[in-house]
Amino acid sequence: MRGRSLSALVVVLALYALVPVALGGNLYLMSMVVAALTIGGIALAWALLGNLGGLVSFGHAAFFGVGSYASAILVMKAGWPIAAGLLAGGVFAAVSAILMLPALRLRGPYFALAVLAYAHIFRIIATEWKSLTGGAGGIANIPRFPVVLGYDFSGKTGAYWIVLTIVVLFVLVYDRVRNSDYGLALRAMHDSEEATRVVGVNSTLLKAAMLFLSAFMTGVLGAFNAHYINFLEPDYAFSGLWTMLPIVAAIFGGYRTITGPVLGALVVYLVDQLVFKELMPIGHQIILGALLGAMILFAPAGMLPALLRRRGWRHA
Amino acid sequence: MTDLVAQALYSGVLTGSAYALIALGLALVFGTMRIINLAHGELVLLAAYIAYTCESQLGLFPLLSIPAAIVVVCVATTLTWYVVGRIERDHELNSLLLTYGIGVMLTNGALLVWRADIRSTKSAWLQEPVVLGPLYAMRSEVLFFVVSVVLIGALWWWLTRTWAGRALRATASNRDAAMLMGIDPRRVQLVSFLVAGLLAAFAGTAIYTIGVIQPSLGISLTVKAFIITVLAGMGSVPGVLAGALLLGVTESLTTTFASSALQELAGMVLFLLVLFVRPSGLFGRRIGAV
Amino acid sequence: MFAQSPARALRVLLALAFALATGAAAADEFLLGVEVPLSGSLARVGTGMNEGIHVAVDVFNRKSGKHKAKLIVIDDESSPAKAVAAVEKLASQGVVAISGGYGSGNIGPASDAANKAGLVYVTSGGVDEALTQRGFKTFFRINNTAGYSKAMLGLLADMDAKNVSIVYLTKEATSDLAKDVEKALVAKGVKVTMHAFDPAITDFKPIINKIKLQDKPDVIAMSGYENDYVGIIRAAKVLKPDVKAVVGVWSLATSKMQDDFPDLMGSVYGTALLPFPAEFTTPDGKDFAETYKKLYGKEPDYLGQFGYVQTQLLLEALSRAADAGTLKSGGIASEMRKTNRDTLIGKVAFDDKGDNPNFSHRMGQHQGKKVVVVWPKDLANGKMVFPGVPW
Repeated sequence: MRGRSLSALVVVLALYALVPVALGGNLYLMSMVVAALTIGGIALAWALLGNLGGLVSFGHAAFFGVGSYASAILVMKAGWPIAAGLLAGGVFAAVSAILMLPALRLRGPYFALAVLAYAHIFRIIATEWKSLTGGAGGIANIPRFPVVLGYDFSGKTGAYWIVLTIVVLFVLVYDRVRNSDYGLALRAMHDSEEATRVVGVNSTLLKAAMLFLSAFMTGVLGAFNAHYINFLEPDYAFSGLWTMLPIVAAIFGGYRTITGPVLGALVVYLVDQLVFKELMPIGHQIILGALLGAMILFAPAGMLPALLRRRGWRHA
Repeated sequence: MTDLVAQALYSGVLTGSAYALIALGLALVFGTMRIINLAHGELVLLAAYIAYTCESQLGLFPLLSIPAAIVVVCVATTLTWYVVGRIERDHELNSLLLTYGIGVMLTNGALLVWRADIRSTKSAWLQEPVVLGPLYAMRSEVLFFVVSVVLIGALWWWLTRTWAGRALRATASNRDAAMLMGIDPRRVQLVSFLVAGLLAAFAGTAIYTIGVIQPSLGISLTVKAFIITVLAGMGSVPGVLAGALLLGVTESLTTTFASSALQELAGMVLFLLVLFVRPSGLFGRRIGAV
Repeated sequence: MFAQSPARALRVLLALAFALATGAAAADEFLLGVEVPLSGSLARVGTGMNEGIHVAVDVFNRKSGKHKAKLIVIDDESSPAKAVAAVEKLASQGVVAISGGYGSGNIGPASDAANKAGLVYVTSGGVDEALTQRGFKTFFRINNTAGYSKAMLGLLADMDAKNVSIVYLTKEATSDLAKDVEKALVAKGVKVTMHAFDPAITDFKPIINKIKLQDKPDVIAMSGYENDYVGIIRAAKVLKPDVKAVVGVWSLATSKMQDDFPDLMGSVYGTALLPFPAEFTTPDGKDFAETYKKLYGKEPDYLGQFGYVQTQLLLEALSRAADAGTLKSGGIASEMRKTNRDTLIGKVAFDDKGDNPNFSHRMGQHQGKKVVVVWPKDLANGKMVFPGVPW
């Protein structure tokens, strides 16, 4: 255990220090990495909901969008500091998940699609509630990240560090929950819901807790994105891509593992933008769809674990 | 005023019948096989594009393109049935993901083949008005209303009166018992996918002649179909028609009396109401608490 | 332990991609960046603009003695984040300026990134007011909402409309236009009723019925996109409200709509830069039309025309800056600001906010298979025909 934590620490420090040095000058590649990490964070939240909550969602874009708007509005209209905005984004997304609680009663596929319908609903609300959200035109000139301790975080490297910190924190949280008593109960529930209820575990409460956690994480990332791109509109904030890419990423990287989704996001997103898009400027996402299908059929535990197992490695 | 209301109800019923056609395929496969085909909307869209290709390249009247649409869509659903059958574990989750991936491929495929331009029928005959007193409609709407009612009736008859249909329902309610009776579940699954494909072909042609299609339409069709399935309740075919009509009428009444900008929201609110108050749907059997 | 190898592999992959991604240009060439939507919801309009941009470069390369231009095109997938990324990539590839952009939501962030990189950004795809309020010295656009509403208002005035129903999509550009027109009409004492609709709507009969039974207007004005026009006109053809004209804005009075929906376009009015078949009388126009036909095998449309003009002006500014030796020192922006000439879309001169206040669109009407420009009178090549309805 010690050795693994130490090497993980080394890797993380390397990511903080070396990537900006290697790529900092190339704004385009840094953009790609920041976007990939954002997707990776959502993928992690999605996988958490699936593994620990036993719930599959096809509408995580709902949480992302709610978090984006919540933070943008609080910072711009109520003058909150951005750090508080990020937290608020997560909280509002979790609160919006309360609306989905009735859907928890439904069987798996029902829930997955109910969340998708919710994403649509939130998008419509964002478009209609003009006075609050700016309507279809959206909100522009959302404040950037501020100067902290003398360093200006509004640039690409600053954004990279922020999102990297967020993702690392989430990985730690996921790890703690998974290894805690609750995590044990949740994993048991995933395997057999009947059995856990017999033992006295309140499965619905636990599921709801995981839904809130997953929503919170996604909302924080949505808030991050709002201050990073400095622009929001309903179609963008609630776009289906914020659902689709994390799912492909999580499946690719191995959604049963903790770091799998993040790694999967880095690979899938970068390869999609840097390779697929060059080969097929229009409609290149067709390859992602095919990849998803292929993975489900041939490597449901994820492609990265399958590839790595060949070389004799295993990961967290 | 009464004229306004009457027209709103009439339009709502016609629109609802088209929605019913779209939702039926999804409801059937879900109700019997417990598989939600997330690519369903894209299959309907595919049929619509086949109708477009037949009309623009071959000069065919859109209704005549239905056989071609049936063939293409049924091939697609058979392929879907085949790959879904290959899933070995976590069937529910993985079939969702797989059909989701298929949906993404179909949407991008449509973009590649037919580009992003909007398409709709050029047939003057189909766009002519049909006037019944103070009630107005397009010929294509009335035509597909009739088609919809006939198909739903035929489907109900098939499910309740024929051996194949009853085999389908038997497998849905108790798979093991059905197997003991000599029913092969895999074949029954294939049949349900094929029937869904047939329905999708009609639905696609309907949306092509009534409205406008573009590649991004696929996912919104799936969402609409799903909402109607929830409204209807699981396992109820007449429920789908009722749910679809309810949705259509709600939308047009909202447009007439409130603002047309709230039309989509009204449908969603209806969905939420049913979900909160009566999750088994308006006509469905009670779903046990999870 | 696992993480080291994949992380290193990742870095290698990134370096490789970076190496592959940089383009190169010959010494005396302008490298021009193009950021447009070629996929996603704005694919169609982005493709049209892209074609016009290519025509402009083709004509420029043939006509200009000293200078040549080369294009790098990146698809922004109709998304703001990708638009920003596209601009950044173009900047890293050494372009001197950027032409393109569609949708104010994408142009805003993209031109922001261009401004940060010190690159001039020219567009015809963003009519939102906010775009020219940011104080950027590098942002230029050749059209704006005011130009569209001027045209619609002018036509309505010529028609002597006393009662107008406006049907408009709740998206930003379309509803801004509708509100502008409403304000101006009300100020002149015209009765106006507004009907907003959301993008998902397919059946317009309830709205048109309300208009027919309650508003009883002279003119139905539409502010939306192609699919909305089709739906609205179909509903109107069925209900047959007693109006004297149906008027829309962009993408309506085009030969494409005539080809795709011949039964719905009869006598309908919309904005039209040029009549169809286009009778290009100036040498500039002839160059444009012939090159467009040569490259794409079809008649140019308004998207190509806008893309052409914005790029043509940019290339001229680039030449002037290069001649004056100020290419690297902000010369492009100052030369752009000196622009003052007649173009295919009328006179263009940029104010210090980068807007083109001269912009005023023209209105055309489908008459048979042709599109005839009917407003303003001095540019018209035909008369208005009533009733302006396809039934």
